[in-house]
Amino acid sequence: MNAPMKKFYTATTVLLLFFLQSALIAQQSDYQVQQSFVSELNELTQRIDTTQSSAELAELEIELQQLKSEYAEHEEIINAALYPETYQNRVNTLDEQLSVAIDNASVIEQLNTRIDGLMVEIDSYRSEITDLNEDSQALRQELQRAESNEEQQAALLIEYRQSLEERNSFVSGFLQELMSRYQNVDLGTQQEISDNAERLDDSPVEILRSIILDYINIVDESSSLETPDYVAMRAQHEYFFEVWERIGTNLVNTFVPDNPSEAKTEMDELMSAWLLSIDNQLWESLNNSFSQNGIELEVFVSPDEFYNAIYTYVDNGHATSLERNSEEDFGVYQNFNTFWNETVKAEWGDMLIEGEILTQSQISEIDIKLNDWEEASKPTSNLMFILLIVSVAVIIGLIVLLITKKN
Amino acid sequence: MEPMKILRVPAILAFMLIMTGCGSSLVIQNVDYSQPLESVLSPDSDGQIHDKRYAIQFSITPILEYEGSEGVDEIRLIRNANGFYFVTADGFSNVYIFEPGEGELSLHEEVELPDGPISEPAFNQRDTHIELINQSSGQTYNLDQNGIR
Repeated sequence: MNAPMKKFYTATTVLLLFFLQSALIAQQSDYQVQQSFVSELNELTQRIDTTQSSAELAELEIELQQLKSEYAEHEEIINAALYPETYQNRVNTLDEQLSVAIDNASVIEQLNTRIDGLMVEIDSYRSEITDLNEDSQALRQELQRAESNEEQQAALLIEYRQSLEERNSFVSGFLQELMSRYQNVDLGTQQEISDNAERLDDSPVEILRSIILDYINIVDESSSLETPDYVAMRAQHEYFFEVWERIGTNLVNTFVPDNPSEAKTEMDELMSAWLLSIDNQLWESLNNSFSQNGIELEVFVSPDEFYNAIYTYVDNGHATSLERNSEEDFGVYQNFNTFWNETVKAEWGDMLIEGEILTQSQISEIDIKLNDWEEASKPTSNLMFILLIVSVAVIIGLIVLLITKKN
Repeated sequence: MEPMKILRVPAILAFMLIMTGCGSSLVIQNVDYSQPLESVLSPDSDGQIHDKRYAIQFSITPILEYEGSEGVDEIRLIRNANGFYFVTADGFSNVYIFEPGEGELSLHEEVELPDGPISEPAFNQRDTHIELINQSSGQTYNLDQNGIR
């Protein structure tokens, strides 16, 4: 067969197929057309209802466009079949439903991305805190082993303190991050995250809980720590407590949506147990520090009692100095004044305030009382008194001399 | 008085005619009875079909007997602009065209299909006629109340 004939046959076949296709289209049943429209529309409605992925919804959007272009020419028949509904109404309704579904899917995907990010962050925090805990624990064990070697123990203690400071700093950063995110989180976001919270293996609340347990463990097991360490721990506890007060409710509502109040109570109780552990060591350690510096305070087991003990000591010293004004009393004053200013205020002052062990006004009151004590305890000289008596005697002598000369 | 008596009878007749004329004087022209889409109806166990959309109910048993069919799953029904009902079903050799009356449908025309029993029939309402399709073969017939056009 030559080329022109081949082209002719091809063209004829195409034309025949076209006419056949046209004839088939013409022979469609109107009833079937509207039935197919309703059936396809219902199927599409159902699929839009159950699809949550943006990609799949985009495909459904194309299918809806195809449905519209396929059935637009049958609008009149479909209107007759659907009366009082109309083709346009049904299609518009589905358009709106699809649009809402696409918006929802987008929100869900954003939320999933956020949750995925959160999971990565939580894993990273968990891993970091675990590393820090392991370092601290290893140092603690080394410290226990090096009890016999004072020099080595001192070096290890410095390292251990540094590791605790590093841990505190990391935890503070974590708390800061949590606070910036969840302090003012709106209810909608809380709800969205809490709906997906079950996906999280570990939540910020769980991390905070384990951090507190680790802190309690550190306090209970570290026998080599000293007063400044416990004061620092109380300051860290207060910071933790303050942050928890601000974001605790939001955190439990977001990450423990099934039982937020129970989770909050459990954390509050852990927080109290941590404080108790610190205080058990702190008051004794503080008392020892004062005692080692020759300052015997009344027994104290709370911040108020601690303030009262110091104030009473200074007040008593002041009273004694007023009464006796002896060299010995001045020595007592000087000893307290040195320890108070050079150690308590200079080294521990900020942490005492941050840890709510002493307030700034209490420190000021003690300072004022200490000034009074200084005034009262300074030994006064007899020279002036002697000079006064000599002067009076000279004056009397001169008067007597003048009277005698006149006579 | 006799002429008056003679005139009384035609006068009464004229009055009656006028009155009869008055009763049928309101006629609405160009009524379109056309059903835009055919109804596809399944008979119940008594052979009753009920088209709730277009509000008609009747028994198809007489049609089945007339057609010589034992039963059908569904029948196709459509009404043209002039108000005639067209009825057929899968396997029927005829289309039955009924004229509605007072509580009845009377056979107006029985249209024998030239290509034998129809398979998967469907009626379409067209501007000037009813289109009957054999959905298996693609064969179409244009009908009005008088038969194939």
